[in-house]
Amino acid sequence: MKPPGSFAGVRRDVAFPMTGAALLAAVLIVGGAVYSAAGGATADKLVTAMLIDAIMVVGLQIYIGNTGVFSFGHIGFAAVAGYTFAVLAIEPARKSTVIRNAPWGLNEVHLSPVQATAVAALVTLVAAVVVGLGLARSGAKSGSVSAAVITLALLFVTHELALNWTDLTGGDRAGLSFRIGNTLEGRTVIYVVLVAVIVMARLFAQSRIGRLAQAAREDNLAARAMGVNPVAGQMAALLLSVLVVAVAASLRVYDIGNITPKFFFFDYTLLTLVMLIVGGRNSVTGALSGVVIITAGRELTRRFASDGFEFFGVSLDAPVVDWLLREGLTQIFLGAAMLGFMILRANGLLGDWELDAWLWRRWRRRKPEERPEPLAEIAPVGLHAEVDHEGAALEVHDLDVDFGGFRALDGAGLTVAPDEVVGLIGPNGAGKTTLINVITGVVAPSAGWFKVGERELTVAPSHDIARAGLVRTFQNLRLFGALTVRQNVELAARVAAQHRPGSHPPVDALIAEAGLWDVRDRRARELDYGSARRLELARAAAMAPAYLLLDEPTSGMSDAESAEMIGRIRHMAAAVDAGVLVIDHDLNFITGISDRIYVLDQGQVISAGTPDEVQADPAVRSAYLGAEIDAQRRG
Amino acid sequence: MTELAQNVIDGLGRGSIYALLALGIAVIFGVMHLLNFAHGELITVSGYVAYWVFSAGLSWYWIAPLVVLVSVGTALAIEQVAFRWVRGAADFTMLLTSFGVHFVVQAVFFMYVSASVRNFDRPRWITNTFDVGPVTIEVFDVVVIAVTALTLAATAAVLQRTMFGLSLRAAAEDFDAARLMGVKSDRVIRGAFALSGVLAGIAAIFWLMRAGQTTPSAGITPMLKGVLAALIGGLGSLRGAVLGGLLLGLAEVLLRSRLPDGIAGLTDGVVFVLIALLFIFRPGGLITVSRAERV
Repeated sequence: MKPPGSFAGVRRDVAFPMTGAALLAAVLIVGGAVYSAAGGATADKLVTAMLIDAIMVVGLQIYIGNTGVFSFGHIGFAAVAGYTFAVLAIEPARKSTVIRNAPWGLNEVHLSPVQATAVAALVTLVAAVVVGLGLARSGAKSGSVSAAVITLALLFVTHELALNWTDLTGGDRAGLSFRIGNTLEGRTVIYVVLVAVIVMARLFAQSRIGRLAQAAREDNLAARAMGVNPVAGQMAALLLSVLVVAVAASLRVYDIGNITPKFFFFDYTLLTLVMLIVGGRNSVTGALSGVVIITAGRELTRRFASDGFEFFGVSLDAPVVDWLLREGLTQIFLGAAMLGFMILRANGLLGDWELDAWLWRRWRRRKPEERPEPLAEIAPVGLHAEVDHEGAALEVHDLDVDFGGFRALDGAGLTVAPDEVVGLIGPNGAGKTTLINVITGVVAPSAGWFKVGERELTVAPSHDIARAGLVRTFQNLRLFGALTVRQNVELAARVAAQHRPGSHPPVDALIAEAGLWDVRDRRARELDYGSARRLELARAAAMAPAYLLLDEPTSGMSDAESAEMIGRIRHMAAAVDAGVLVIDHDLNFITGISDRIYVLDQGQVISAGTPDEVQADPAVRSAYLGAEIDAQRRG
Repeated sequence: MTELAQNVIDGLGRGSIYALLALGIAVIFGVMHLLNFAHGELITVSGYVAYWVFSAGLSWYWIAPLVVLVSVGTALAIEQVAFRWVRGAADFTMLLTSFGVHFVVQAVFFMYVSASVRNFDRPRWITNTFDVGPVTIEVFDVVVIAVTALTLAATAAVLQRTMFGLSLRAAAEDFDAARLMGVKSDRVIRGAFALSGVLAGIAAIFWLMRAGQTTPSAGITPMLKGVLAALIGGLGSLRGAVLGGLLLGLAEVLLRSRLPDGIAGLTDGVVFVLIALLFIFRPGGLITVSRAERV
């Protein structure tokens, strides 16, 4: 058995991302240097601005990309940082003319640029914690409107403050400015920061916490069902991204030499967002490509607007063209870029693609990985060795659930012993899925309770229930689509490593067991239906659960596939030493897999026993099997 | 007491316009889950039309119906050019699409129409006031409130009594189910945009009467107010949108008159903080429209 931090894993998760990131930074830096050498002072300025924008946009990417939560507020954070930096770093002699009455004697303070940046970062991080807690409280998730509003509020509030708190900010007219010549010299600092930030962003995306954030982005509900608390990943991403944004803002102010309220407001928000989404917000490589493309496009349109159309020697000189190309063209370009990409390619040019993924694939082609040992041959895994399972039964008692006037569960209860496979059948609408939803914290019961062993879990949040060992699959597949097969399983294993005691099944073996070894580096959303079902099973098993709760694991499968699934589920459950509660309508499947069966009808358990007993029960025959058997006879 | 009564009337006048804008935004959100940041462009376009018509020597009696027509036309055109291509896309995609529309329209006006402010005369009666006891009431506020009330009543009648209204409400409840029941999605969505255009057009008349001018970026403020009002009320809830608009108007007027002098300039900022707090503690807005996720 390979140790968890195997060499190949380190290479994949650390070495290649760092190489890729360094390559990217090098391309940007060298390309920029060449362009500015060729183009003189204007080009020099343009490239410097682009490199700082690149830092800013990578900062945005860390949050928006990893969490999927849409933030309009990052430029608001930039404003906080920019003003803090300016107030602290501008020399007192200069401040005494603009902000003579600055509060707390700030007009006397004079810090070095590095110190000022550090303080600016700290202040902004404090603001980020407050906003982050608010976002968490609002239940922010991918695409949520409330998060967009809260962050938009931040942008406007900082702008209003900058306008009105003239004692500190100098207001709208003057703003704050450095003495000419007292600003950022050379690009060394920018280069260093840029490289560091790109590497950091790549490593974060690859890290445990980064993956948790991405899982919640891909499917909030499924992430919680895998024991992921989305708040943790979002908060980590927010703090790191705001740190980067704060540094970028300080650099921008220091480079340009002044700051006014509109400096970090709507226009800059639009610019950075367009850069982020054009290249692809889910990838650092994408974000940086966006920065280059948009910077180039903006420069071109600006030139067209001022000097007329001339592009690589082709020039158009007609009154119509001159009329068409005029000031404002860059704004149209930005708006159209956003609109065009949203309509034609919403995930940006590169989507999820990273440069290092390509490096990794090339490397692996040269050195193929060894196929792992099958699960059965790996000596006892799961909890059995360390934890005494006796008495850790899953008990569900008298659950009631009401949806409006409809009673979905009416005193339903059941028990599953460790190592037992229990089936739950019933006609459509009997309350089967509702029961699983209740015991995984998705739906709150109005009465009743459930516990595993001595631990009552009735009011626990989803992710705590999953960590306590109740892990489910979903009727309508919920995989983390943008993550690869291996990353899906790895994520569950990482959560288990942190929150589940005992030893854990090796990730590669589970993948092989599910018959997914050959597609392990494919993204989950590219899988065919059967493979996706098996991946859900493997992902749940990687949590080393006490109980696997399977919601229609064979729905949509052929009879032959269902039959094969019986062996696979039993084998995998035994290998990770989990009890199983499985729902299905397919009678052959349920009787084939279960040790015992509960029959649910209109929210009540109407029968329980071995498959034979249940099939012989007249109540069951009339409520459920009768209809089924008739249908089979006819069909 | 007198001051409060004064504030309430001013606030309702202001809030009525917000309510009309918010209702249009809520109608569109209901049928296609799009938070329309381009809603203010209807006012921008209407504003230039008002200016041209006015320059041609016509009076407000001509301008008013024209503005409504233009607003409806613009709403339908924007749907046709941009939003129909992102129907059913992720919320994120639709949100940014509307942003893109907003920026493109603004830039087009800036470049090809006029970068500077265009003025037109406001109708003479709008500054008239009359007194009821100690309270001074602007005729304009009374007109705005009355017309808004009529418009809302008419809208309610359309939504409750007509086949179109029924399909629209059904689609807002559950779009897929409505489609399976034979509601034509294309027609409902276009109808929703037309309705939002009518509402925005009426709001635009008042907005322009009071402003007496327009610029390429004139749509930003009304757009923000409308979006915020719709959000406060609870996105997708039509009643909520109206309620949100009135509340936003009242809150602004009350804050502006009650905040101490030093921070009165921060009214918008304070309103934003309040809204952020509302969203932190009630992410669905005041009237939460429940949308159960199927598991």
